[in-house]
Amino acid sequence: MAYCVKCGVKLEEGARECPLCKTPVILPLGLERGRSEPLFPQPLPPKGIDGITKASKDIIELILALLVVSEITIALTMWFSGNIEHSFVPLFSTAMGALVIALAMVAKHTYVAQATTHIVLVSLYLLGIDATSNQLCWSLIAVGALALFWVFTVFTTTKTAKAHHGWTALLLMASLLGYVAMINSIVVGRLTWFVPVVLPTACVLFLGEGLFYFRFLTRKKNRLQLADLVIFELIVWLLTLTVLDIFMTHYRQGIWNLNWSLSLLSAAIVLIILLVGVSVSRRLRRYFTSQNRHY
Amino acid sequence: MIRVQSYAPEGFIALDNSALIYPPTEARYNANTYRVSMDLKQEIQPQILELALHKTLERCSYARVSLHKGFFWYYLSPNYKSPVLHEEGSYPSARISFKNNNGYLFKVLYSNHRIALECFHALTDGSGALVYLKMIVSEYCRLSDIADVTFEGSLDFAASPTIQEFSDPFQHFYDKNIPGSPTTGVAYHRKGTGSYDDRVKVISAIVDANVLRSRCRKRGYTITVYLSSILVMAFQEFQKQEVPQQKKRKPINLSVPMNLRNIFHFDTMRNFTLFAVPGIEPALGEYTFEEILKKIQLDMGLSQDPKRIRSQIKRNVGGERHILMRFAPTAIKNPLFKLLSNSLGDDLYSAVISNLGYVKVPEKLESSISRMDFYLCPGQMNKVALAVIGFKDKVVINFSSFYNTDTSLERFFCRFLVEDGIPVEVSSNRTQEYKE
Repeated sequence: MAYCVKCGVKLEEGARECPLCKTPVILPLGLERGRSEPLFPQPLPPKGIDGITKASKDIIELILALLVVSEITIALTMWFSGNIEHSFVPLFSTAMGALVIALAMVAKHTYVAQATTHIVLVSLYLLGIDATSNQLCWSLIAVGALALFWVFTVFTTTKTAKAHHGWTALLLMASLLGYVAMINSIVVGRLTWFVPVVLPTACVLFLGEGLFYFRFLTRKKNRLQLADLVIFELIVWLLTLTVLDIFMTHYRQGIWNLNWSLSLLSAAIVLIILLVGVSVSRRLRRYFTSQNRHY
Repeated sequence: MIRVQSYAPEGFIALDNSALIYPPTEARYNANTYRVSMDLKQEIQPQILELALHKTLERCSYARVSLHKGFFWYYLSPNYKSPVLHEEGSYPSARISFKNNNGYLFKVLYSNHRIALECFHALTDGSGALVYLKMIVSEYCRLSDIADVTFEGSLDFAASPTIQEFSDPFQHFYDKNIPGSPTTGVAYHRKGTGSYDDRVKVISAIVDANVLRSRCRKRGYTITVYLSSILVMAFQEFQKQEVPQQKKRKPINLSVPMNLRNIFHFDTMRNFTLFAVPGIEPALGEYTFEEILKKIQLDMGLSQDPKRIRSQIKRNVGGERHILMRFAPTAIKNPLFKLLSNSLGDDLYSAVISNLGYVKVPEKLESSISRMDFYLCPGQMNKVALAVIGFKDKVVINFSSFYNTDTSLERFFCRFLVEDGIPVEVSSNRTQEYKE
């Protein structure tokens, strides 16, 4: 039987430390540690129990109860005022509002689950509102934007996306092009400016990004310098704008001519020459990176 | 005494007034359960324990109920399923999963040497649960030939249940002509350090009843007042460190359940408990231990005045009988009850200390019973709860806590006892985690 030297309390037989202050029990040499029956037959589980709480359930019930009351109130008000044919929007908005809050409570409290739930619900809401005019127009563009937002900001944080970099990059490109094509087909009714303007511009953009990625992979050290990033992004950006200008002008006037993009192309070429020079010439590299001892 | 006409349909047993708050507020960090247990020296035979449980439920058929959610109120209805015996786990007073318990509001657990009864507060209070446990243990001892005994305060197996046993005492003592009791202000809540989760971490302190009693008698106070004062003293120290500016310090109030059976002589097996809220106001200055003892004694005395208690009953039952409350659906009532539970409950006190009193062990069983325990479940706002029970020559003080590492309150309390000349023996399930 031991006593805690700090607290002065008697400890149970075989205790290795004081439960109050965590002071270890050190027995004199040759004295064996005894063993008493533990307070509970099993040790504490490594963590507590998760899951939806009863409080959340009750709040969902309250939301649904309030939804029923408000729906009846709105419907009666619209009916008595003779505007029952316009009642869809307020009724649908109230129902979707309640659904958003209730499902947000039920959904797993992770970024992916919460963001996905909200994006799906907002998309349904926009489609529903647009459907009142018996045709879907602006809502499809908005829903496409939400889907694109999901691919870029939610999907990329998932384990699947992190495990398959290449496929994820392809999906991002495809979804971006798909969205632009969708806008073109919704607004004009067929693909007009998408093929002659967007596709070549996107090809240059992806090619530039691909080159940057290739250079990054072939470096001796896969450490990304901020200067590298800025310069490469600048080159890709300038080239893309130049190509956009070329094809846009060609599309609108039917002629091949460079206007303001000529200066951008020149700047991009100068930057490329500089960067290639820095990569090839050790002297030049030392000149620009003399402050960086790790290079 | 007012007799209440019941218009309830068949199979509908209304919750008593005190129990109304427990089902809506039951949550991950608010299990609303407690546990009483007895350790025997003999090994427990589950088959015999099951027989003893059935026998007890035959006598106390009003405990054979399950909880249901009606449109207006939660209610109890007779439960014809068999009760389930559970093996004891790693901590007490966890949330009861009614589904896995065949709908019963109590849980009988056993381990090598222990018989434990965990109860959801909507069924009965600590004193009621202790009566059930006494009945189960005495029947178990009779069936397993340990001894044929009856605990003092237990119910007679041969007698048939009286109406008092299963009637709601609060409705009997409700008087609409007296004013409702006013509520007190918001009390100090200790922030605590480190993380917490819903596993109940226990530190159990055992002290010698005679030494403790003699220390209390020397000062002229009861054990409850003495232990409550130590708790208040601890909170005063914590607040002093947390809030350096004296005038910004909040009152430190405790919630001390009072067994109203002794005051009103009404032997019910349902909830019949109200809370005394003794405390100090540290904004007025630092209190010495003697001053705290005096203040707690005074507050406890005032709280036990039957007239004040009736006023408290008027406030609680008056709320239940309010026309808006009666016709509001449960879905609306539940969040309201949660708010009320905070504003009329958790907000008002800094900690809970419940003393179940001294349990007299029959002479023939003295050599067989090695330990008794009483545990409360901690709450979201007050993450450490204190439960006290006395038996033979020992007093067991159990701290149940949600904190993973913070044991400063328990440490202060035990050190104070040691420094006051009362030897303390501690054991815990916190250290069990690290064993092989």
